[in-house]
Amino acid sequence: MSDHTLPHHHPESGYLPVESKSIDASVRLPVIILFGNAIHWLVVAALLSVIVSIKLIAPGFLGGISFLNYGRLAPMARDLMLYGWASQAALGAGIWLMARLCGRPLGGKNAEGFGGMLLRTLIISATVLWNLAVLLGTLAIFAGYSTGVEWLEYPNWASAMLLLSFLLIGIWAVLLFDRRSTGRAEVAQWYLVAAFCWFPWVYGTANLLLVWKPIQASAQGPIQSWYCGSLLALWLLPVALASAYALLPRLLGSHLNRRNLATLGFWMLLMLGGWNGMDRLIGGPVPAWMTSAGVVAGVLFLIPIFMISINLLGMHRKEALVADSIPSRFLLMGLYALIVVGVIGAIASLPDVSGAVRFTAFTEAKTQLWILGAISLPLFGALYESLPHLLGRDCWSPVLSGRHYVLTLVGLGMLVVLMLLGGLFTGLALADPTVSFLNITSYSYPFHVMECVAQLLLLVAALLLGANITIALAGDYLLNKKTGK
Amino acid sequence: MHRLPTLLSGIFLVFLTSWLGLVAYPALQLGRLTPVADTDNGGSLPPTYGGQAIAGQRIYATEGCISCHSQQVRQTSITTSDIDRGWGVRPSVARDYLRDSTAFLGSRRLGQDLSNVGVRRPDAKWHFIHLYHPAAVCEGSLMPCFSDLFLVRKIQGQRSDDALNLTGADAPKEGYEVIPTADAKNLVAYLLSLRHDYPLPEAPVKKNGAAK
Amino acid sequence: MNHDHHNNQHENGSEETNRPLSPWLVGTFMLALCWGGFYLAFNSGGFRQDVYESNAVNWAGGGVAAAAPVDPKVVGKRLYTQNCVVCHQPTGMGVAGQFPPLVGSEYVLAQGNMGDNHLVMLVLNGLQGHFMVKGEAYNNAMVPWKQLTDEQIADILTYIRSDWGNNAPAITPAFVAQIRKETASANDSYTQEQLMAMPPMKSSGAQGATPATK
Repeated sequence: MSDHTLPHHHPESGYLPVESKSIDASVRLPVIILFGNAIHWLVVAALLSVIVSIKLIAPGFLGGISFLNYGRLAPMARDLMLYGWASQAALGAGIWLMARLCGRPLGGKNAEGFGGMLLRTLIISATVLWNLAVLLGTLAIFAGYSTGVEWLEYPNWASAMLLLSFLLIGIWAVLLFDRRSTGRAEVAQWYLVAAFCWFPWVYGTANLLLVWKPIQASAQGPIQSWYCGSLLALWLLPVALASAYALLPRLLGSHLNRRNLATLGFWMLLMLGGWNGMDRLIGGPVPAWMTSAGVVAGVLFLIPIFMISINLLGMHRKEALVADSIPSRFLLMGLYALIVVGVIGAIASLPDVSGAVRFTAFTEAKTQLWILGAISLPLFGALYESLPHLLGRDCWSPVLSGRHYVLTLVGLGMLVVLMLLGGLFTGLALADPTVSFLNITSYSYPFHVMECVAQLLLLVAALLLGANITIALAGDYLLNKKTGK
Repeated sequence: MHRLPTLLSGIFLVFLTSWLGLVAYPALQLGRLTPVADTDNGGSLPPTYGGQAIAGQRIYATEGCISCHSQQVRQTSITTSDIDRGWGVRPSVARDYLRDSTAFLGSRRLGQDLSNVGVRRPDAKWHFIHLYHPAAVCEGSLMPCFSDLFLVRKIQGQRSDDALNLTGADAPKEGYEVIPTADAKNLVAYLLSLRHDYPLPEAPVKKNGAAK
Repeated sequence: MNHDHHNNQHENGSEETNRPLSPWLVGTFMLALCWGGFYLAFNSGGFRQDVYESNAVNWAGGGVAAAAPVDPKVVGKRLYTQNCVVCHQPTGMGVAGQFPPLVGSEYVLAQGNMGDNHLVMLVLNGLQGHFMVKGEAYNNAMVPWKQLTDEQIADILTYIRSDWGNNAPAITPAFVAQIRKETASANDSYTQEQLMAMPPMKSSGAQGATPATK
């Protein structure tokens, strides 16, 4: 390997000794394209989030134009964050990690031959299809063709394209596991197999029953809540956790010493992930047992989270390694975010608390921490760790990486704390029927202002990351003059 | 856990638990709820929507009203504040959404809950002005102006019956009037049809004010 | 699922070992599952499809659990805040010389020659001219509130009769409806004389003492 100016410490024996360079080469182009597109959508989503938060302070901002109304921009921002950034980053990280962990290049024996090239072309085409679906779906919402189902606003054809492209990409990761050259499966590999199997099932079911052939609306509430919980806890979080399980032990020069706990945590996460979505519907128009299930799932979700944290945070580690390594810092912060989100989720699931804070910024804070914290932070870690291997050199700018890290944490922390506080105030005021609704709106004003500032910080962080990867890839193109982007 | 088939079966079976409880059960049970007879007025409950209201649902979806408004009055065992606030006389139940094409339950209340807005604000003219310029009737409202749902045109002959009564800065120029488009009329028809105040077997309407 | 209790050198170079689980961990885990089970058992309405209130244990399977009744005083307080505080103030003390207080008012509490019906009548149809409240003289007009529903007026009156130290029986919507029907012909606000000319009536419908003739 070329000399590392970035002080990453990972002895080569910590990774697969089996021709890791050929593995990297076999997935290089697809993963880079996935990551690059993901970051691009992250920047756009962050920009839309800023505009949306300004609209809560000054409703007249960009007002009067139906295309730019809150009701159109907010779902666009959310869906871009979920499908444009998070899912694509998860695909990229998942493929790279699976290939490395399985010790098998994509395409197997044909990796460097025609078969491998065909496979890479297929995956890249599927990626193009994915991004087309995201782009056109977003534009459809913009133009007034949203389906009106939360988190599933893309029209029928866009969501079908999304599902198809996922199948074309994800199947290879699962097959890699089946044909791997290593014997015992690692924890990270279970999570990846599970994630790649679940997304099609979850996305397909939800779209079929809510968008493509909607069932009677009396049944749609629980299904939509199940979708929200499953998307986060059964597709995106497992890939983030796989990144943590695979990379943290190696980066920190340690090893997992509680595999049985990891097993327990894995199966409990599977079990509770879908039910966890029901916290969106506590007290809603569903039979009482579903409300109670939501309460119980929200609280019990702490169990897998604690198991995972004990596992990964309880490893013996060399602190010096953490301080120098951007990927491990992101991965650790992601785990802390997961713990916080579990605690907030447990508290917010309690019936009295839910009665006060549901529908306020409190629950929105939880969602933001899920997406931007528990899921995105480990994915950033995987991104920062994978690219130098894929490009075969130290490509990240330390200055930009460091600034991205700090700004992301500050912005996210500020956003979550403000939304929690604001939501709490709003919720308590809403619970008092003598306080008029418009009064509550004006109480929230200072919180919305500060939330806007937090979103701006996150936008700057995203821009820094975009600049960082552009420089990294452009540098590669200029240096190598071989296969460029 | 090391062979793909074993892992896959385990994943499949465990995943099935939430799928059965939150997808299959609702689809098979809640999804097969039927209307009940309305013994007081004839017809059935929930009441059917008119054609304009059905078209208005599409507008509600595409304008993204669900981003700010919810449509559910919560059960009193969780909180009574929805009912205390006058947003409904009883909690909403699954059967209430029978006639909808999409259940706009919502998850955020930047604006009021709308499940009973047809009872609370039965005046179409108020809704038109509110959609055109919310701050005119609700000071400090965060709601955007849906001015694209309206047409500002020169008064031809006589002022149209549909024209909005706007005053002050909202009023159009001299000789011009603001009239709602078909989309606006459909949306308002839908809003006026939103009510969950009829009794159902699983959701009786309690007459409050019983002597203590 | 393997539970290896020895170091396991993974082929690809990373180790994953198994420390035995701490009993505290297992204990907490079991406790949490028990809590979950009990909570579900007692808050699921017997897992029935038609029970929506989670505080109704419905194992017997008979009937649908009733929703928690709404407290009319809470609704009444909100309506009072929306409609009446401008004049009568949130404290119910009114404004001296201008708007009479509701605290200890004989109109509100139906004391002396006042009946519950007088209170409802003056809210429905208004009051004007000179009148006395708690020995103080006023000369003002109260607008009629007949646009409010029977439930709303009943809730407001029940509320003002129960706050600020007032203590009088609740007013029912049925009573308001009855008074509304009986006074439907009134097309102007009452004066105090006109009001007192009607015999007092309790909310239960019983007649009170005959009024003193003036």
